[in-house]
Amino acid sequence: MIEKGRISGLELALIMYATVSATAILYIPYITAQHAKRDLWLSPIWGSLSGFLIVVIIVILSRYFPGKTLIEYCELILGRTIGKIIAFLYLFFLLHDTSIAFREYGEFVESAFLHRTPMLFVTGSIAISCAIAVHGGIQTIGRCAVLFLPIVFVSYVLIYIFLIPDLNLKNMLPIMADGVLPSIKGSLAPHAWLSQYSLMSFLLPLVTKQQKVMKWGIVSVVASVLTMVLMNLGNLFLFGDILINLQFPVFEAARFVSVGSFFEHIESIIIAVWVLGGFIQLSAFFYMVVLGTSQWLKLPSYKPFVLPIGFLIILFSVWTIPSFEDMIRGMGTTVPYYFLTIQLIIPSLLLCVAVIRWKKPKSFMQ
Amino acid sequence: MKNMGFRKKRGDTPNIQFKESMNSLPEIPLNPSLDINIDILKSAYKDCADVVFRDFSISSEINAVLLYIDGLSNTEEIDQHVLMPLIQLKNPIEGPIFERVKKEISVSDIKEFSTIPDIFKQISIGNPIILIERQTMGISVGLPKWEKRSMKEPDAETVIRGPREGFVETLRVNTSLLRRKIRHPLLKMKQISIGGYTETQVIVAYIEGLAENTLVNEVTHRLKRIKMDGILESGYIEEMIQDSPLSPFPQLLNTERPDVAAACLLEGRVIILIDGTPFSLIAPCTFSSLLQAPEDYYNPFYISTLIRWLRYIFFFIGLLAPSAYVAILTFHQEMLPTSLLLTIAQSREQIPFPALVEAFMMEVTFEALREAGVRLPKQVGAAVSIVGALVIGQAATASGLVSSPMVMVVAITGIASFLVPRYAAGITIRLLRFPIMILSGMLGLLGVMLGITTIVAHLCTLKSFGVPYLNSAAGLKLRNVKDVLVRAPWWAMDTRPELFSEDTRNRRREAENQMPSPEKGDGG
Repeated sequence: MIEKGRISGLELALIMYATVSATAILYIPYITAQHAKRDLWLSPIWGSLSGFLIVVIIVILSRYFPGKTLIEYCELILGRTIGKIIAFLYLFFLLHDTSIAFREYGEFVESAFLHRTPMLFVTGSIAISCAIAVHGGIQTIGRCAVLFLPIVFVSYVLIYIFLIPDLNLKNMLPIMADGVLPSIKGSLAPHAWLSQYSLMSFLLPLVTKQQKVMKWGIVSVVASVLTMVLMNLGNLFLFGDILINLQFPVFEAARFVSVGSFFEHIESIIIAVWVLGGFIQLSAFFYMVVLGTSQWLKLPSYKPFVLPIGFLIILFSVWTIPSFEDMIRGMGTTVPYYFLTIQLIIPSLLLCVAVIRWKKPKSFMQ
Repeated sequence: MKNMGFRKKRGDTPNIQFKESMNSLPEIPLNPSLDINIDILKSAYKDCADVVFRDFSISSEINAVLLYIDGLSNTEEIDQHVLMPLIQLKNPIEGPIFERVKKEISVSDIKEFSTIPDIFKQISIGNPIILIERQTMGISVGLPKWEKRSMKEPDAETVIRGPREGFVETLRVNTSLLRRKIRHPLLKMKQISIGGYTETQVIVAYIEGLAENTLVNEVTHRLKRIKMDGILESGYIEEMIQDSPLSPFPQLLNTERPDVAAACLLEGRVIILIDGTPFSLIAPCTFSSLLQAPEDYYNPFYISTLIRWLRYIFFFIGLLAPSAYVAILTFHQEMLPTSLLLTIAQSREQIPFPALVEAFMMEVTFEALREAGVRLPKQVGAAVSIVGALVIGQAATASGLVSSPMVMVVAITGIASFLVPRYAAGITIRLLRFPIMILSGMLGLLGVMLGITTIVAHLCTLKSFGVPYLNSAAGLKLRNVKDVLVRAPWWAMDTRPELFSEDTRNRRREAENQMPSPEKGDGG
């Protein structure tokens, strides 16, 4: 295998959690709220369906082909030519997805504090930082995740703990006033985000205890969904109906924190802490593109690819998205279908063919 | 290699040509003729005023030569225990002369040798040698003696409670200091000599069974790889054997304290002692050990834990305080409470520079002051501190060049970098502070975060002799953090730190159930 490093199940869960949740907490509340209104906290629960489904498919596929990633077993399942084409399709999607993630990061930072800094500078600077982590391999990303995510987690919990006096539980009533449909409509974006669990196929071969990957995958999905639900609930309790108009409600919430009249306006710190989570997310995406590309090309090492692909990602992040408004509109309309097509249909198709063409391996469990 | 060894010149007398290390000289055997041997040696030690050739004859019959380097050997002892008994020897003809001579010399350490390069090695470490007519063997006598510095408390690692002895420049003294602490025969000391000209003796010390064999082999292998003309200090070796030569972080610890070295040996680490310097190297080194001071283990554990946390906090302050100040003043003024913001704005009213320039000026001045304080002779030192108080102090703010909050920040940063117990780690913080300041001047808190993520990502990739640098911090195993997050009391630190994850044997370092309590004592 190209990658020598190994990660633990916990690191797998944390990396995937960051990959999905870091930008989810930024953009999902706004997009969901447009359709779901007061029921926006229900949407991630519907969205979790695709998360669980994809984790199960990916884990079963990895049991068929232990030690192989999606790019590698694509070719085994579908034959050389078709396999290569489908793998390329997936890889290209991944590159696109990664550059969207970088752009999301850049847009957020720009609108939050660096209003006049060129986008290239913002995304480029974190890309360099990520490149160091990617060059270090999956172990580096895993260790960073273990070190950073607890800090991020604690500081976000703290925001809402400080805000307890301002939370108004009645804001969530009435639940499902207009039936289930609005919350299901709103679940499009959570579906899109949670479908990114298909990226787990890049990390599964690298986990030390293979028997537990299913458990950790599910734990990770549950954690992501819970984060989105709780975050949405917290924002709903705090803001009520005006939530629909808030672009980044989490940071509006941070703005409200005031403890003892000296500890206030902590949104800059919260954004800075969020960057730690964003760093894990972007590094993980970046790493998967680099690893996938070198596996597609069957290269002995992925390290020479880090910088060129980093370049490509930054370029794509400029080319593929015309503006912030277009990005938000896309996330509520086309992007979920695009994400689900690639990330749900390709793995399901692979699984179907694999079940028909391949015998169950001996090490098959669950 | 071509020009090395002997060249026949002037009839029978060969001439020795030094080109490379003494180790690579050909093994020229001793000639039975004493004169030829002497000629070779004299040509080799041509223009060496400190080399003494003393001709004498054993009981006025057999010619012999005593050879030593003046100042490296104990001449009084030579006179008394070597020359006198040999010159006064009775009946030299009885029995083989070589064995007789060995018996007559009343010195405990005697070695035989049979080649010319051995002579160079022996006399260069202070062992006088004796060559006897018609013998193809020589005798070296262990009587080295040179001026040594007396042992004193290391200046860089002082303690209030704890042993006050420190390593010195002499290797043998240092090995004896270690041996006096760890008396077990499993304390091994492998000797290697490095340096073409200096022939520096280097000792790899470890406790067999505690230190991983792979680690010991790796250290020895890397030391043997070094090919350079001289090793004068541990720093030469450190830079030649570290895993990531371009990293700003120290990948080997150094210490002048035998108690620290002994503690590391007991944890399964390897100590590299180098002749000619009081600093010994410790491998492997992990990030957490940079912030552990020897005294942590001698003081009560509550206070040690507290002080350790103080150190962690000030480690970050030392690294980030100026950049956080710059970031907040330049980009995030809203974070400050209004009254504080007003005070700072007032004090900065007169200042012509942006915060970044101000911070840079002050930090560079502070580094310059510190450097001046280290290099200057002690008599002038007082002047530096007076001037320093002016430059970083009231006068600086009064002159309108810097604001008083900036002076505070620089002062705190300075103190913070003194709080790091390992000097090498302190240097790293001082170095990394500047790029983070630039980042914070460009991107605000985001820049500071980018600096942190980059540094942490780098630390996660770092390894020291195969041991991950952030081993204990990122391992998330509770038994590994008892010497990191807290300093557990000694009765609870029952296992050695886990340097290599796969290794589980011989992990306990004390018997079970060691927590003292009155009932367990046998006094009642």
